[in-house]
Amino acid sequence: MKTFRTMLKTEIMISLRGMDMFIFAICMPLVVLIILGIIYGNKPAFDGAEYTFLQQSFGALVTISICAGGVMGLPLVISDYRSKKILKRFQVTPISPVIILTVQVVIYTIYALLSLLLIYITATNFFHYQLEGSWLHFLFGYFLVMLSMFSIGMMVGGIAPNIKMASIIASILYFPMLIFSGATLPYEVMPPALQKIADILPLTHGIKLLKGASLGLPIDHVLMPIIIMIVLAVICIGISIRFFKWE
Amino acid sequence: MEEVIKVNELSKSYNGQCAIKNISLSVKRGMVFGLLGANGAGKSTTIECILGTKKSDYGTVSILGMNPQTERKKIFEKVGVQFQEANYQEKITVGELCEVTQSLYKSAANYHDLLKQFGIYDKLKSFVCELSGGQRQRLFIILALIPNPEVVFLDELTTGLDAKARRDVWKCLSDLKIKGLTIFLTSHFMDEVEALCDNICILKKGQIIFYGTIQEAIASSPFEKFEDAYLWYTDEEEENNENISNNA
Repeated sequence: MKTFRTMLKTEIMISLRGMDMFIFAICMPLVVLIILGIIYGNKPAFDGAEYTFLQQSFGALVTISICAGGVMGLPLVISDYRSKKILKRFQVTPISPVIILTVQVVIYTIYALLSLLLIYITATNFFHYQLEGSWLHFLFGYFLVMLSMFSIGMMVGGIAPNIKMASIIASILYFPMLIFSGATLPYEVMPPALQKIADILPLTHGIKLLKGASLGLPIDHVLMPIIIMIVLAVICIGISIRFFKWE
Repeated sequence: MEEVIKVNELSKSYNGQCAIKNISLSVKRGMVFGLLGANGAGKSTTIECILGTKKSDYGTVSILGMNPQTERKKIFEKVGVQFQEANYQEKITVGELCEVTQSLYKSAANYHDLLKQFGIYDKLKSFVCELSGGQRQRLFIILALIPNPEVVFLDELTTGLDAKARRDVWKCLSDLKIKGLTIFLTSHFMDEVEALCDNICILKKGQIIFYGTIQEAIASSPFEKFEDAYLWYTDEEEENNENISNNA
């Protein structure tokens, strides 16, 4: 526990000094929220809709931070520590690799939760947002999306041969997901052809799940996304554990 | 005396290229053991195979009676390691790096004392990347000493240090040796090896060409100074080759 606490504290400091996660995981989702809030305000999501545009987008906005941390932050930090031989130094100490990885996962979880809180507070106070569905369902979906996104990141960090490859793979995963899965650009305003492409991205399903939960839609709408998220997490975690390398 | 490090017929090759072959050595408690050889002679591979960070193709290793491959966590409570290349996070301070390292062990030394002893206590709040080469080298020796180890492995101990700093490090290591610390080091400086090592092993092209004390090394060479003897051991074959090509 002592090891975990000290490492967590230090790694948080190092991460904050880097600033990039503060920008991508904390500021960026907030900026997108404010833009959407100003443009669409409390207009209904579509003619005759029972919920507002912002209510529809809330589930998407909270995934921006998860995506930044899981798909960009995690794989980069893991492969960076491997290529800088920091993991190799840890290999000749009594620490378990599980602790090293858990510390990073916890850091990106903190970023994501902080972003969720900030988005929620801003949306309720400035844009009269209300969560229609149950918080319980929403948080279940939220952590499921987080689990699957983080597992993708762990896998990329685990199998990428060097930091350059990790950064290329992370970019290939991150930017399309950020733009086309509905996290920033709302899925609903995309033309149907683009929606079809978006459906390939795992985050699109995560966002559907969160939308369903935040709007209080019946569970059968979200069964498929739940299954996809779980299967993805199991596969990626399995691969990253199987192929973990110190060096 | 108790054998702290025991290596038996260690061999390792990379892609069919033999890196080390048939390395056997033994280090007793409280001894300073020097592994010598030119760059590429197999020193680092030997250390890594002993520590278990590389898997040997053949041979056995035991440190403090344990197998480094299977009892990693137990061994490294009592073994400190300084690798040749420094490895640390980009934006970490000296204090943070020491604190994290300390937190890894059940019983660790007070790093404040070590920083004072090695003369870099004033750098506590500096970033590691801002230290000079010598200060960084000292920091990494400190990291190897934080576990309160019974054995330390120091790869290229004083490379990058100035004359004064090297003497200071020798002094610290001699003191630790008196307290019973076992030291396994590699070095390119023969004055250092002479000052510190009880036993040496000279590698050439992955094989042991000399194993014994410094006096023995000098005695079985035609020279009187250890550095000359060392060069004689490591250069012998090249000279022969030159003679052959000259004759041809």
